[in-house]
Amino acid sequence: MRNRLKVLRAERNWSQADLAEKLDVSRQSVNAIETGKYDPSLPLAFKIAAIFALPIEQIFSADEAAQAAE
Amino acid sequence: MVCEPSTENAKQARRRYTRGMAVAAALYVGAVFGAVSAIRYLDPPQWALVVLALLPLAPALLMLRAYMTFHAALDEFQRRMQTEALIIATAFTVFGSFAYGFLEEWANFPHLPLIWVFPVFSFTFGVAHVFVRMRYK
Repeated sequence: MRNRLKVLRAERNWSQADLAEKLDVSRQSVNAIETGKYDPSLPLAFKIAAIFALPIEQIFSADEAAQAAE
Repeated sequence: MVCEPSTENAKQARRRYTRGMAVAAALYVGAVFGAVSAIRYLDPPQWALVVLALLPLAPALLMLRAYMTFHAALDEFQRRMQTEALIIATAFTVFGSFAYGFLEEWANFPHLPLIWVFPVFSFTFGVAHVFVRMRYK
């Protein structure tokens, strides 16, 4: 799964630690999600969407969909 | 089993874990020395030998409780890493002891006491966790 977490975080000038604190997770978890090494659970994905005030599909996309769009 | 704490609650949980493990380790050393001394110098009856032999299990179970409390305070990604390390350690220990059992029975390998299973598992878990963390960096 792909995500725009790094871009969205940079737009708000948040560090990984800032986002981790808002999500109540560790910084290493935010890093793993950003780098695509870990796909968050649905509840955490919804929490991320709520923090960025965006629909979930504007943050996360399936690899196939992303490839098809390119 | 070192994980970066996520929140103040997780930091507190980590402190509780460290304290719990230290207390359990101290009690374990005391239980082992106490039981060995009692067996060596007091010539206890069979039932007492059973009790003394199982005495170190109590602090070992305290270690398990400390770990379970710590595990519950981790976030989902940290729990995932812990789970992967546990699977690796379990597989290594179970299949390693299984294989060695056959080697003992059929290939005249020297007998190893089962008491080594827990230390081997703990050590393997520690090493596996370092490996898993590196993989996710």
